[in-house]
Amino acid sequence: MQSSLKTSLFGHLLIIVIGSLSFPFLSKKVEIPPIISVDLVQISDRTNIPYAPKVSDAIKSDKKEKERLVTTQAPPKIVPKEKPDAIPLPDKIQQIKELIEKKQNPVKVEEKNKQVSEFEKKEIFDPNKISALIDKAKKESDEISKRANLEATQSQQKNFITGTLTLSEQDAIKAQIFKCWNIPIGLPYDQNLLVRVKVKVNPEGSIISSEIMDTGKLNQTHQKILAESALRAVRLCNPLKVPKSGYEKWKEMILNFDAREMLKG
Amino acid sequence: MIQRILIVVLLLLFQQNSLKALVTIDITRGNLDPLPTAISDFYFDDSIKPDDSIRKSRLDKKIPELVENNLQRSGLFFPLEKRSFIQKPEVAHATPRFEDWIFIKAQVLVTGKISLDKNQRLRVEFRLWDVVSAKELSSLAFFTTTQNWRRISHMISDKVYERLTGETGYFDSRIIYVAETGPKTNRVKRLAVMDQDGYGVKYLTLGNELVLTPRFSPDNKYVTYMSYFRNLPRVYLLNIEAGIQDLLGDFPGMTFAPRFSPDSKRVIMSFAKDGNSDIYAMDIKTKVVERLTDHPSIDTSPSYSPDGSSITFNSDRSGTQQIYTMKGDGTAVKRISFGEGIYGTPVWSPRGDLIAFTKFFRNRFYIGVMRTDGSGERLLTENFYQEAPSWSPNGRVLIFYRETPSDDKGRGGNAKLWSIDLTGYNERMIETPTDASDPTWSEILSKK
Amino acid sequence: MKLAKISFIYVAVLLSLFLGACTTAQKATAPAPAPASAPAPVAEGDAYTGTDTVKFLADGIPDRVFFSTNKFNLTTAAVNSLNKQAVFLKANANLNVTIEGHADERGTREYNLALGEKRANIVKDYLISNGIASNRIKVVSYGKERPANPASSTLAWSQNRRSVTVRPN
Repeated sequence: MQSSLKTSLFGHLLIIVIGSLSFPFLSKKVEIPPIISVDLVQISDRTNIPYAPKVSDAIKSDKKEKERLVTTQAPPKIVPKEKPDAIPLPDKIQQIKELIEKKQNPVKVEEKNKQVSEFEKKEIFDPNKISALIDKAKKESDEISKRANLEATQSQQKNFITGTLTLSEQDAIKAQIFKCWNIPIGLPYDQNLLVRVKVKVNPEGSIISSEIMDTGKLNQTHQKILAESALRAVRLCNPLKVPKSGYEKWKEMILNFDAREMLKG
Repeated sequence: MIQRILIVVLLLLFQQNSLKALVTIDITRGNLDPLPTAISDFYFDDSIKPDDSIRKSRLDKKIPELVENNLQRSGLFFPLEKRSFIQKPEVAHATPRFEDWIFIKAQVLVTGKISLDKNQRLRVEFRLWDVVSAKELSSLAFFTTTQNWRRISHMISDKVYERLTGETGYFDSRIIYVAETGPKTNRVKRLAVMDQDGYGVKYLTLGNELVLTPRFSPDNKYVTYMSYFRNLPRVYLLNIEAGIQDLLGDFPGMTFAPRFSPDSKRVIMSFAKDGNSDIYAMDIKTKVVERLTDHPSIDTSPSYSPDGSSITFNSDRSGTQQIYTMKGDGTAVKRISFGEGIYGTPVWSPRGDLIAFTKFFRNRFYIGVMRTDGSGERLLTENFYQEAPSWSPNGRVLIFYRETPSDDKGRGGNAKLWSIDLTGYNERMIETPTDASDPTWSEILSKK
Repeated sequence: MKLAKISFIYVAVLLSLFLGACTTAQKATAPAPAPASAPAPVAEGDAYTGTDTVKFLADGIPDRVFFSTNKFNLTTAAVNSLNKQAVFLKANANLNVTIEGHADERGTREYNLALGEKRANIVKDYLISNGIASNRIKVVSYGKERPANPASSTLAWSQNRRSVTVRPN
């Protein structure tokens, strides 16, 4: 009787001791690096946004129209191998310039040269492009307009025309529409809270036309209500503040009104 | 030479191709501000003679005033000052000059006309305009009598609300509540009904006995409530039109906490037998009873889901007051409230996706909502004492009551009705001539 | 030897306190109206122990008992009062009474109706278990509708958590 009691007591004590001891070297925390979501986005390069003044600089618009003929570059990806394409560029541009001079009003040639060389320099290593990518992941409209304003105060580097808007150009337009769009709060949340509006603007940013795409869905009441609110938003934002250059890029835009985030239960 | 031309042509072609892809910009945010709305006065047209007494009714001003009131109280519309309006009502109703309305910052406009048809019936016509897009959104006419102008105003409000928000409206409805007077130790309570905007309070009982927790039937024909008639706390049924009261919960024990099923055919309630409260459902016509819970704990405050397939209720079977759901036949009982504190008065939303409740935690009362599986608990408002939320017919607004603390002389203890949006905004008090408690909302009156 | 006895008493006292604190267990096993054996009295909790608001059925016989928050179990004090009431009722065999159950205002209305019903019934069951015929006792719950003390204070609330034995007029 006594010995079994002793063994039982010993066994209990042993378990208690084991349980109460902590083994710090076994409970090491595993540090998982946080996942940063990155959107791959086609951008041309960082730009500042000198907003097109409303009326007074109408004269300059002619020149802008002509500039568009100069581009030859495809929209760049952040891959060093772009470099080889860039290098022969100056020659081509020289040729084109000559042609243009013959056909239209004279264009400032010197500036073009400067642009090209600066662009080349950037090609070597461009941290700005990468940071631009990360910036896209943030969705605060305040941030967007802040950045847009910041851009406006930077150096007067002209837009190099590619085929899309730059990140900050997009942000600038977004910020304006955000303010004008009165979202119908009562719409039930579902995946269909999307409406696309095609907008045509003149170089000053005045809206020439705005129309709903996908008109087939408009027989559904909620789609109709959402579409009407989107059209009101576009029209209330007239005239838009648009970039000073690159008219060809943004003369026709598709605004993808997506109410899902705001209406999520 | 030819070579150069070729290059230019090629470049031009290249240009065209690269510009075919239109830039797409995602607009993922907007504002949730109330919509700036202009509500113009209506006008009497020529079919109503200048000396006709109808003109004295001033419905041309009263109807739009009520519409403006409703829309403003919803928190979703911002009615603009009439003084700033440029166009006259009759002109605006025919063809508004949209620039005039955009100028005063309106986005939408309501105009209307009152006339007599050839049968001398009063005809009220309204139009809803999108002034920014310069088009008419809606145009409807109602036939009515002069006395019924309030219902018309509420129906117009519902149509405008629906057309612009995407939600069904809730203005053409009533609220039933308990009107309270007297000292706290000996309160006099009467059943009272009013329009949802507080107009036209009518008392349904005299106050000789305590009445509690009245609820409308979804078909708006009946009210069920609990009364201490002859000192016996029982559930009663009141036929609104006939004005006849019927004892419904005729059990040998207290019956209380009654609610209707969505098809208005049954009343679900608690029955206390030998001290233990369980939930029963009774067919109003046949009086046949189905027992739904069988547990020594307190089971009460039952509420049907809008499709009638489920019931949420209050039980302390876990040791504290919590919220449960079960199937309409009493099976599959599941607890859904797990937060700190105690939970009571669960009510299923007419949209079917949420359950509103009262929560008591650390000596404070909260009104909140949670999803029907218990997730997503959101507390909307906090107070010294408040309870018993009830949903508006469109599931957007919750009405409840609050009481202030009282001193040992019994001073204070004032009960008032309050409402709040599902979003937690637009908290406002509802004026009643007396103190008020236990409010519940009816279905839309025009619903058949 | 003495030490062993003292320590034994000490442990016994500790254990009894433990048992006394386990009041929730009682809820699930509601006492059936059994003859003679009364439900075990519980610790006082925050049940009112004063004499304010207390009326008397007769000399020295309080007309009411008090409960802890959210509880409907009889405290020792409650049992003592009810024993006196039982004696009184036996002595006045023609007297029928109504037990009114009440709750404080710090709870939802419908649940409080049910709680008042439990409080009234536990008193009825106790009186029956002490030999009073069940047809002499009616039960009604007023939930929080009829507070004895209208104030919004902890004291008032404790005075309102009560079951009152009422004689007919």
